Amino acid sequence: MGEKNFENPDKITDLKYGFDAFKNGKALFNKKKRLPTMGWNSWNAFGSGNTEALTKAMCEKIVELGLDKIGYKYVVLDDGCYNAKRVDGHLESDPVKFPSGFQGMSDFVHSKRLKFGMYNDIGSKLCSGLEVGTCGYEETDAKDYIKWDIDYIKVDNCYNVWDNATFSNPENARFTFAPNIRSIRINKTNDSGKSVFQINLSAVEDGEITGNRAFIERDYVTGIGTFDGTGPDSTPLGELSSELVFNVNVPEDGEYDLYVTYATGSFEGAGAWLQVTVGENGEYYYDDFLSVTENQDSFKESPSIKISLKAGENRLRLMNHRRQENTLLSYAKIKENFEKINPDKDIVFSICEWGKTQPQNWGYKVGDSWRILNDITFQVGSDGDSGHASWEGAYTTSVTAQYNKAVIMDSFSGPGKGYNDPDMLMIGMDGLNETMCKTHMTMWCMMNSPLMLGMDLRNVKKDDFICSVISNEDVIALDQDPLGIQAKRIYTTKAVSPDTTYLRDNDRIDVLCKPLADGSIALSFINVSLGDRKDSVYIGTDLIKHYMSEKMADPDRFFNADKFEITDLWTKEKKISEEKGFSCNELKACDNLTIRIKPL
Amino acid sequence: MDNSEYLSKEKFIKETVRFSGISEDELLKKGVLKTGDFLDKNELIDRKNVARILHNYLRIVLKEKDEEDISKAYILKDLFDCRVCANHIAQVYLKGIMDAENLNGLVIFDVFGKVREDETEDYFRKIGKFIK
Repeated sequence: MGEKNFENPDKITDLKYGFDAFKNGKALFNKKKRLPTMGWNSWNAFGSGNTEALTKAMCEKIVELGLDKIGYKYVVLDDGCYNAKRVDGHLESDPVKFPSGFQGMSDFVHSKRLKFGMYNDIGSKLCSGLEVGTCGYEETDAKDYIKWDIDYIKVDNCYNVWDNATFSNPENARFTFAPNIRSIRINKTNDSGKSVFQINLSAVEDGEITGNRAFIERDYVTGIGTFDGTGPDSTPLGELSSELVFNVNVPEDGEYDLYVTYATGSFEGAGAWLQVTVGENGEYYYDDFLSVTENQDSFKESPSIKISLKAGENRLRLMNHRRQENTLLSYAKIKENFEKINPDKDIVFSICEWGKTQPQNWGYKVGDSWRILNDITFQVGSDGDSGHASWEGAYTTSVTAQYNKAVIMDSFSGPGKGYNDPDMLMIGMDGLNETMCKTHMTMWCMMNSPLMLGMDLRNVKKDDFICSVISNEDVIALDQDPLGIQAKRIYTTKAVSPDTTYLRDNDRIDVLCKPLADGSIALSFINVSLGDRKDSVYIGTDLIKHYMSEKMADPDRFFNADKFEITDLWTKEKKISEEKGFSCNELKACDNLTIRIKPL
Repeated sequence: MDNSEYLSKEKFIKETVRFSGISEDELLKKGVLKTGDFLDKNELIDRKNVARILHNYLRIVLKEKDEEDISKAYILKDLFDCRVCANHIAQVYLKGIMDAENLNGLVIFDVFGKVREDETEDYFRKIGKFIK
């Protein structure tokens, strides 16, 4: 097979892949309404050093510890399992690390009544640099994965050829940002070529910037694209893509010529790819590169772009949503091939583009979950080394960095949509004590996160605290509750709007509320900070009603109940309360009180 | 760039074998090297892969413990560009084996940069200090 030639991303042949369709709530495929996936993934435990022998040992331990019986079914090979290059165009296993091949591994996993998961990447290479990414090989790979009888696939985003993702050419930003725009000119000519209408509009004075990515720089608008969400800097809520919009009044229906005065770049914030549309859900009149200018401050006028306008006011949108659209197209191409080759094969599809392209907006169209940030740890383990985890720290590499973002993303999650994925559990790695592990588990279960274990299970014993934390069936029941609703943060000691404020200062107590299928709710009081707190926090039923009543299975029964049965899901203590509220008086550092409240 | 002054993958592997006294096959089996290191052997090796091999050698062969707190390496602006090599880079940087570059206050590791023979000698000289 020759080298693949990557020139331009796919055309958007159907507006169902386009930005305006992100809000229509329609998946591209008949998605199974599943609950968050539970299992074990090799990455946090062994990094690129996972082997067939280690994976088999993990399968044996899952069964020995009874983890399979409580839902941990999927065993996923992450990066580091492939041969460095394709063989006759096909993926193969690393012959040293996986001598029995993927078929042998799959057969072994299935022989233990577990499910088999694999890993790949929408780019040209995997993150480890092996030249076996799916880009350009989607059909071949889908056939092979189905032949190997996989039940799950995690798909990464390194070496993306259509965006400046990790290890990509940084100049790929030219695909994903519009050029800087100084002004536009709209012209209409009659049959004899004479101009009958003309209007000149300044980007700065007449244009309207939507969203929070673009801004004015001197006499032009720049940053027309989508905010990169890989790092923890930005809230995931609100309009994270920007457009430059002009309200254009024209005297009559017809075709007009649009000329854009622009300057191109090839870096985050200024690119060379322009999209033009009018109104909502309309066709793209232009969706391509403009010719390159000398630099990002050297402006020139584009050739004519034909647009159709109606008499009266039109909303002319200059934009670049290709960061999101290209990534959706890449993931959809893999999924489409699975569907084409065997529509009955049930494969969990885990999107791992690290929140870069704001997948909370579009991930539901193709995936069962989507990562929301870069990795939870970079200090992964190896055989004999547990790896390192942190409760808090800079960037994305801590329990709280992931939690702080995911906790306000409940509106994107659900059984028909998919789930926010704050990355794999770090329970069992060095750096987290028992209290932290309990709260980490609680957070992930309350937030309906996939529960993928990431420790070397050979170090886990039936009677140790790690096993008891990951096996707490009452807490797992929250994650796997059939209602499938992610908890909402209904109170925090830090902010007025607990459900929408992105908080990164951990010195606080949060209260999360999760409605459950039997009409109960779960309440979790979480001390996010590294210090003990003596706060007394009281949550009345009126506050629960305000935030949760529309999502609850049976709100009337709950709010009209005379008393409640309250179960502490960690200590297992039960009590009956006639109070119309629930309180927590003090919490040790990083601790949580999580109760299930059943109306009687 | 004059490529002749930079080390290929093959040459760097040879240097690792020479320094460690361990054969290529054994380094592969131990996990210090990976199969991809033996493909396109004439390509120049980049700094992120050098960091990986050096860190793996320290960890696996010399049994040197990782620095637990890598937050001081967060100063490297390109550290988080690389999910698979971030810890390798952080460890060799914090242990003083590989340096970063300071460009007007912007500190970068230069993950795609290449390495010269004298730099390689310096890395192994520094690694030698970890032999107990």
